[in-house]
Amino acid sequence: MLKPILLVEDNPKDLELALIALEKSQLANEVIVVRDGAEALDYLNAEGQFANRQTGNPAVVLLDLKLPKIDGLEVLKYIRSADALKSIPVVMLTSSREEQDLLRSYSLGVNAYVVKPVEFREFVQAIADLGIFWAVLNEPPPGSTRYVRRP
Amino acid sequence: MNTHPQALDHASQTEINAAAILSCEQEPIRIPGSIQPHGFFLGIEHGDNLAQQPVIQVSNNLPLHTGISVDQALHHPLANVIGLENAQQLLNSLAAQSFQFYPLYLGTVALENGGFYDVLTHPQDGMTVFEFEQTSRQAHADFRHLYPLVGNFLNSLSSVSSIEEMSQIAVREFKRLTSYGRILLYRFDGAGHGEVLAEAVDEGYHAYLNQRFPASDIPRQARDLYVINRMRLIADANYTPVALVPAHHPLTGQANDLTHAVLRSVSPVHVQYMKNMGTLSSMSVSIVIKGKLWGLISCHHAEAKPVSFETRAACEQLGQILALHIASKEESDEASERLELRRMLVEMLGPLGKGMDFVGNISGIAPLLMRFAKAGGVALMFGDEVKAFGNTPTPEELQSLVAWLGTQSQGIFHTDSLPRLYPAAAAYQASASGILALPISSLHRHYLIWFRPEVIQTIDWAGHPYHKQAQAPQQDNLSPRMSFSLWRETVSGKSRPWNSSEVGIAAEFHTALLSLVLERAEQMAELAEELGRANKELEAFSYSVSHDLRAPMRHIVGFADLLLEYQGDVLNERSQRFIHNIKDSARFSSRLVDGLLSFSQMGRAALHIADVDMNELVRSSLAKLLEDQQGREVECDVAELPVIQADGNFLQLALFNLLSNALKYTRTRSPAKISISVEAQDDNWIFHIADNGVGFPMEFVHKLFGVFQRLHRMEEFEGTGIGLANVKRIIERHGGSVWAEGSPDQGATFSFSLPKQIPQAN
Repeated sequence: MLKPILLVEDNPKDLELALIALEKSQLANEVIVVRDGAEALDYLNAEGQFANRQTGNPAVVLLDLKLPKIDGLEVLKYIRSADALKSIPVVMLTSSREEQDLLRSYSLGVNAYVVKPVEFREFVQAIADLGIFWAVLNEPPPGSTRYVRRP
Repeated sequence: MNTHPQALDHASQTEINAAAILSCEQEPIRIPGSIQPHGFFLGIEHGDNLAQQPVIQVSNNLPLHTGISVDQALHHPLANVIGLENAQQLLNSLAAQSFQFYPLYLGTVALENGGFYDVLTHPQDGMTVFEFEQTSRQAHADFRHLYPLVGNFLNSLSSVSSIEEMSQIAVREFKRLTSYGRILLYRFDGAGHGEVLAEAVDEGYHAYLNQRFPASDIPRQARDLYVINRMRLIADANYTPVALVPAHHPLTGQANDLTHAVLRSVSPVHVQYMKNMGTLSSMSVSIVIKGKLWGLISCHHAEAKPVSFETRAACEQLGQILALHIASKEESDEASERLELRRMLVEMLGPLGKGMDFVGNISGIAPLLMRFAKAGGVALMFGDEVKAFGNTPTPEELQSLVAWLGTQSQGIFHTDSLPRLYPAAAAYQASASGILALPISSLHRHYLIWFRPEVIQTIDWAGHPYHKQAQAPQQDNLSPRMSFSLWRETVSGKSRPWNSSEVGIAAEFHTALLSLVLERAEQMAELAEELGRANKELEAFSYSVSHDLRAPMRHIVGFADLLLEYQGDVLNERSQRFIHNIKDSARFSSRLVDGLLSFSQMGRAALHIADVDMNELVRSSLAKLLEDQQGREVECDVAELPVIQADGNFLQLALFNLLSNALKYTRTRSPAKISISVEAQDDNWIFHIADNGVGFPMEFVHKLFGVFQRLHRMEEFEGTGIGLANVKRIIERHGGSVWAEGSPDQGATFSFSLPKQIPQAN
């Protein structure tokens, strides 16, 4: 069974576009959607509404930078500090290439930093590439299983 | 300094003089142990009934005046010496006196020898001293003439306004009262030299008006004595001193303190001094102001000439009245000067308190500053910034002067002879012999300095002031100077002195300045804090703009794309065009946001200065730009460019903007011609980018570099209107400037300068 992709996005329009982009990229992974940083942590820790979820880490976290309650950088920081989570690939998705965000994200150990392109076609391409790379091509740490892309 | 070796000699001469004066200063002038012979001395031991008390000390000339031997007098009552009647009269008179003003006149008595004597008394260490002074008057002294005399003198003094005129009135009055041949009034300066302010001289007497008597003429202990006893008479310089018997005060065993004795013998040095000066009798009256010896009225006569007690008393009174008048005149002069200075102080502080530009404010009141300190020049040293007005040393000289000042004092510094303290100042002593410096920061070498020009002074000395010893044969160390002939001295390297009210008010100005500077510093700190806050807000603002403003644009474009994708085939052409318009507008809006953000970032981001090869920068920019210009004929003429100092990324952006403009506005030309050239100046590089494009009217040139300023319609030439604003900001961040020339359809030339050395502050 494929590991899911965790999509953390608060803006409904961005969310819709991202889901369409994921759909168009034809990844077989299930997409789990959470709407803020707190929910993201609940999912990762299998707490709250996610207390009964299936165990295991997501294949990749697509993380919006600006989020209500707990922002993307804090979620990233938490993931990298928790032994059980720190090997999860995290891709930061943001609206803007602000240097300070970029620097902080990398210093916190982000795996990729993506400024959402204005052109939807480019956005679809970017999401597809990311999904393929992190969910399919990337060699996960020992103990994980590699999955093959669905034809 | 070479032109005036005299000035340099002063120091060494002063040392020689000091040795000479020292011998004078050891002269026991209060306790000479003898008296002058125009009277005699008699001391009775204190007691309840003076008539019964014994005489315990007399002068050796007692027999000459009384016919009674010293032995007959000592240890006997007063009556035995001068007769019962005289003794009773004097003791009654003494008992009736309630004043403690000595010497005290008791009356005039006739003695056995037929002579008349004025009797004066003063107490002396447990002894009542009587001095009998021979007089030609055969009755008691009459002081009735004093009342009109004093009244008249007061009237005369009130009718004049200057100290010189007052002095002139005083010497005329003294001349009339004493009939002496020469009356001099002199004032002592700070160094103790006496300057003759007024004189009244008979024919045959040497005149000394405006000349100076060196301080060494009157030794220090004499000055002290003159403050206590304001009247001295030497009736005949050829006198033989008369000894006291016993030689020492019989109760103390010490030499008698003759401070209050009218017959007190004077120093042999002084007697010799008088003879050298050609005067056999002399009298002097002290002018004492606020407990200090301000000056002397000195009366000389060629022959021996006694002065009666009442005349001396009159002179002494006039001297005191004169002193009071001079004191009040000096005080009112100083008060009005201070008032005027204070008025100017207020006038100066007004503009200084306004605005932040302290240096500019000071410059604005420079003429007032100079008038305030009666200076020829004033300089403000504010770190490396030097603002000089009027006659001052050069900025380099000022910097060294300030460095020297730093080693001198922390507070206000002033001198009227700078070259003597600071030899380097000799180079500019003509304009700056005197300085008054106010430090206006305790941390930095910030000074406000006034300069006074050199005033070459000619001083006429009554005799050479520095050659006292050289002219007198050295025998007993008690030789006064021989010559009183005029000796002219030229003093250079000195300015008009700074008087106490000028220094005082400068101190007030100093305090006011310091509080202004302090206030300024606080305002600066506040401003910096505010700026920092504003900057933070701006950063937060642009941060949120960059995220929140871009997202909706992306959504518009994204959903428009999806709409076209899902519904494209059912929409008619017009609807499709509308959707494309929506997308274009959203894209453009997004580019505007990006442009604004990069513009604001360019104002904030730090410059990273390094060597930049302009050839490489131009080549890569052109290569990238020409990629999108397929099918156009473009001729590029690029000169050999230098390697310069700049932030490579920023400069690349600026160059890219300029070249892309050149390509854009030559779109209608074939071939398009673009030339890039450089000029090397001393401190700057100047680059030109010229094209043969559509150009622009020069009347709009000032709008070219503004944000969102466009000179063409959107459909002619696309663009956000932010590119040239970015260019301007980048070039100015480097300390350069940017400008353009053009005319419609004649092409345009954009130029920018860059300093060869980029200022570090950027």
